[in-house]
Amino acid sequence: MMEIIYRLIVLYLAIHIAVYLLRQRKFWNQLGAVVVLLLFVLRLLLIK
Amino acid sequence: MKRFNVHGLKTAVLLAVGGLLGFIAASEFKSLWTDEPIFPSPGLTRQTRLSAYFPGLANTPGDTDVFIFDSGGPGANVLITGGTHPNEPAGFVSAVVVVETISVRSGKVVVVPRANASGFTANDPQEANPTRFKIRTASGVRTFRLGSRLTNPVHQWPDPTLYQNPAGQMLAASEVRNLNRCYPGREKGYLTERVAFGIMELIRREKIDLGVDLHESAPEYPVINALVFHDASAEVAALAQIALQDEGLDLRLEASPQNLRGLSHREWGDAAGIKAILVETPNPVQGRLKGRTTDSLVVDGRDKDYLKAARLGRLFVPYGENGIPISERVARHLAAVQAILAAYAELEPDKAVDFVGFPDWKRVRAEGVGAFLR
Repeated sequence: MMEIIYRLIVLYLAIHIAVYLLRQRKFWNQLGAVVVLLLFVLRLLLIK
Repeated sequence: MKRFNVHGLKTAVLLAVGGLLGFIAASEFKSLWTDEPIFPSPGLTRQTRLSAYFPGLANTPGDTDVFIFDSGGPGANVLITGGTHPNEPAGFVSAVVVVETISVRSGKVVVVPRANASGFTANDPQEANPTRFKIRTASGVRTFRLGSRLTNPVHQWPDPTLYQNPAGQMLAASEVRNLNRCYPGREKGYLTERVAFGIMELIRREKIDLGVDLHESAPEYPVINALVFHDASAEVAALAQIALQDEGLDLRLEASPQNLRGLSHREWGDAAGIKAILVETPNPVQGRLKGRTTDSLVVDGRDKDYLKAARLGRLFVPYGENGIPISERVARHLAAVQAILAAYAELEPDKAVDFVGFPDWKRVRAEGVGAFLR
């Protein structure tokens, strides 16, 4: 149960970062978003 | 329109690069989830899994290989565990050497080289440790994982605020993932507690008389180069120490504190009633005074910062220009195991374990541990 809640929280944040990535126009902001999104996706898949 | 296309293309490229980096990172992480092969000697009589003793571990990351060398005749039943702490490589490698070399003519030897299998799937955070190290053998280079002291948090999460272990001791939160604080385990507890429970079940069902848990510790930590013994194993440990000193190996004796609960050398003795001894050797990749941690430091054990610390009298072990290579540490473990078994047989002659092929520690030290791996 805790794992599902954890994944839902990470998914929620990952979606927000993805939306931010799509809306941003500045390259460096987008790059920062990709780097953070990458870590969130690994977390979402429980790859560590 | 043109601006949108440029933006869309830029975003797509960034996502593609991010995806590629993610794939590479995920592949590297996931490669740690695969156990390195162990090639048992022809003397192996049975190989099973810890879940055979406690089905609650089946299909979990806590399940692990169990190698049994059974003469079918009289003698002691002995348990040897390595990899309780997967960041202590000599304990793990020593157990692998035992599996790959021995036959047993009397008694029974049960070896669990990766006691905390989950701990091998990740390494300690914020330590910049290498994930693997290599040992050259006659058949080529063998690669082993350098894991974490604790169960992988992906497999057991979250940690409680404070942890009261099955023996009733209150500990820091992360110790809930430390196998050597979770004995005697809980049948329906955290994963690490279930692994501990599985090992206790193994001890019960294999009728183990004597357990030896192989560990390492940092050179600046006082309990090092030591035999840590349960009260009931004091004579065995003392006789083993004398025999080791006769051979020129200095391992100090440390009594297992009665109020330090949840450790193998305490709970194997208290809860299972067996003789229990933990062996510590110095591990140069574990402490705080070392320099950069590399795979060669794991194997060669040479570090200029430790050398400086030794000259300043800050270490609890002798440390010279040649460092403390893994071959030396494995040799010490093997010598300790042999001395403990011999001491036990001296005290209880009907509990002798007669080996064929058990590596001579002096040869391991001289020829390197790779000469004793397949």
